[in-house]
Amino acid sequence: MSYAYLFKYIIIGDTGVGKSCLLLQFTDKRFQPVHDLTIGVEFGARMITIDSKQIKLQIWDTAGQEAFRSITRSYYRGAAGALLVYDITRRETFNHLTTWLDDARQHSNSNMVIMLIGNKSDLESRREVKKEEGEAFAREHGLVFMETSAKTAANVEEAFINTAKEIYEKIQEGVFDINNEANGIKIGPQHSPTNPSLPGAGGSGGSQGSACC
Amino acid sequence: MFNRFKSAVIGVVSGLEANGPAIEGTQYNKVTLAPKFPYGRPHFLSLGDDEVQMSADHKLRPIIHPSKPLPYDTGYAECVNAGKSRWNEDQAVYRQGVLSKTIQNEAGTFNKYAVPYTYYGIFDGHAGVGAALCAAHQLHHIIHEKLVDAQDDIWVDFNEKNSPTTKPRDLLIIGALESAFSEMDQLLLEDKNKYQAAGGCTALVALFILGKLYVANAGDSRAIICKGDTFLPMSMDFTPENERDRIRRLAQEQPLLLGKEYTSKEYLAQPKSGDLGKTVMFRDAYMKGWAYKTLQPDDLKISVITGQGKRSRVMGTIGVTRGFGDHDLTAVYQKMPIKPFLSSHPEVQVYKIASTDDKEVLIMGTDGLWDVVDGYKAAEIIDKSLNAFEDKKYVSAATCLVGYARGSLTNFWQLKSGKPASCDDISVFVIPLLPYKLEYQELVSRSVVNESNSASTTTNNEIVCENENFLSC
Repeated sequence: MSYAYLFKYIIIGDTGVGKSCLLLQFTDKRFQPVHDLTIGVEFGARMITIDSKQIKLQIWDTAGQEAFRSITRSYYRGAAGALLVYDITRRETFNHLTTWLDDARQHSNSNMVIMLIGNKSDLESRREVKKEEGEAFAREHGLVFMETSAKTAANVEEAFINTAKEIYEKIQEGVFDINNEANGIKIGPQHSPTNPSLPGAGGSGGSQGSACC
Repeated sequence: MFNRFKSAVIGVVSGLEANGPAIEGTQYNKVTLAPKFPYGRPHFLSLGDDEVQMSADHKLRPIIHPSKPLPYDTGYAECVNAGKSRWNEDQAVYRQGVLSKTIQNEAGTFNKYAVPYTYYGIFDGHAGVGAALCAAHQLHHIIHEKLVDAQDDIWVDFNEKNSPTTKPRDLLIIGALESAFSEMDQLLLEDKNKYQAAGGCTALVALFILGKLYVANAGDSRAIICKGDTFLPMSMDFTPENERDRIRRLAQEQPLLLGKEYTSKEYLAQPKSGDLGKTVMFRDAYMKGWAYKTLQPDDLKISVITGQGKRSRVMGTIGVTRGFGDHDLTAVYQKMPIKPFLSSHPEVQVYKIASTDDKEVLIMGTDGLWDVVDGYKAAEIIDKSLNAFEDKKYVSAATCLVGYARGSLTNFWQLKSGKPASCDDISVFVIPLLPYKLEYQELVSRSVVNESNSASTTTNNEIVCENENFLSC
């Protein structure tokens, strides 16, 4: 399906905070109570509409496990938006936010929109991190903030779509250079001269000079 | 299961619906024909079109792994090249099949016997994605047919019957693999004018059957068995450098294949016209050592094999000497056909899965991995990964292996050490040997039980084998 823009997202945060469940809820509108640990990276895509324009979101859902950290860092590059997720029922996942943020800022482009997400808002009785704390952290670091529940779907659409709106506004303001794909934004096929489509067998025709080999 | 395999008609299976763009290469020109199979990533990754697009991101080079478990906990991971071709030209496949037979026993009732097998293949395509796709879609069907051809003799207990007309089981399975490789290549030749030009591909296949592992290799992909920090090579690389003898002898015997530009002789340094009349060091096709000769005009031709190591080439064109396809490939200069120098014949190595633990794995990887990782390094990464991960160990280990070889992008893709990382497509299977061994032991023990109660297990569909003796010969 054609789209006006394509935005690349990355989802980061400690293991077990619900990153994969947020993605699944957003792309498939379902919740899986027992989700396997993510290996390296998983990914999904969905079309949304902003300002009556079709926008395709490509979402990279990274593993929270420390053992994959060196691999997952490579996915920051070329992301226009990041969802930084903690679990409101586990304080340590909130305490690690600074580390995640430093990592993200170091490895991504400076215009990346970061949305802070306190997930598992349905588990009010087990809450360890107050909503105000999340808000304060977001304010302090210039992030957008939201509490979500991947289980009940509360605010999940909003989290992904509001991030896209922020990116879209930045494009309108000319902050993003949309011609540089390293910013995680691509103009849709009908707006751009090149239209990448799947090849038939035999399609690639082999070695055209690479930048690094 | 057997019937499903049998009913797949080889060579007629086609996927005409996907019409690809023109081929960009120079040697391949047939743009009007449809591809035989639509492009995609390996079946077990279950990627949709969006995901196939995402997987081909040359800037991110995401490491893709199966979302559902593979048999025996097998791990797999892949990533696309850094931009040398738009699509990942590697392909991978696994299949499980059963050889079955119904035998009438003395009581007049029927016993159904079955030998299950598991097959893994990786194919590294070049000059297009077609040949690798064909191999990934078709080779297992051909191998199955070849095994079926041999199964009556595979059933025979050779030790007892000592029939002069049969050969040891290893040779029958090796022969099935060898003849299947040859037929696969033949199929690509027959398809040459029917479908879009397919290019060529290497082939590395692992077959687990009757308690043994058979690794067949034609190309520069590589298989090793790792156990702790040690490893055992299970294949050799077929590159122009390693196949120097075969190719130069062929060139000497059939000089017409060389055209006017090439020679089967090798010179210490490429002779120049200014050196005519001088003494140079050379060796002929059959020579191991070096001798001297006076440089004649005829010596100014280019050696059929040039370059060294990773950069060695046949007729200055191709860097791998075995595999499927390349039926239209011609030399960059003089347009001489190169296929006569290439072979689809695999080298098959056999490994008896005896004592093993969960640390013993078979690694199969395309050259994208082995360009920057040697056996020791691979064993080290696997060993570390298997210790680090509690769950999904083997797929995590495969991911780490691909992650290491791909490195990270700074100004260029580099390894942790700062050296250049692999910019090629990278595909890796990490296959633990223990689950297969346990399954096989269970099969053997069940078959023994079954043998003693054979009258009561006449027509059921249980997977059983003939008897202990049969299985262990």
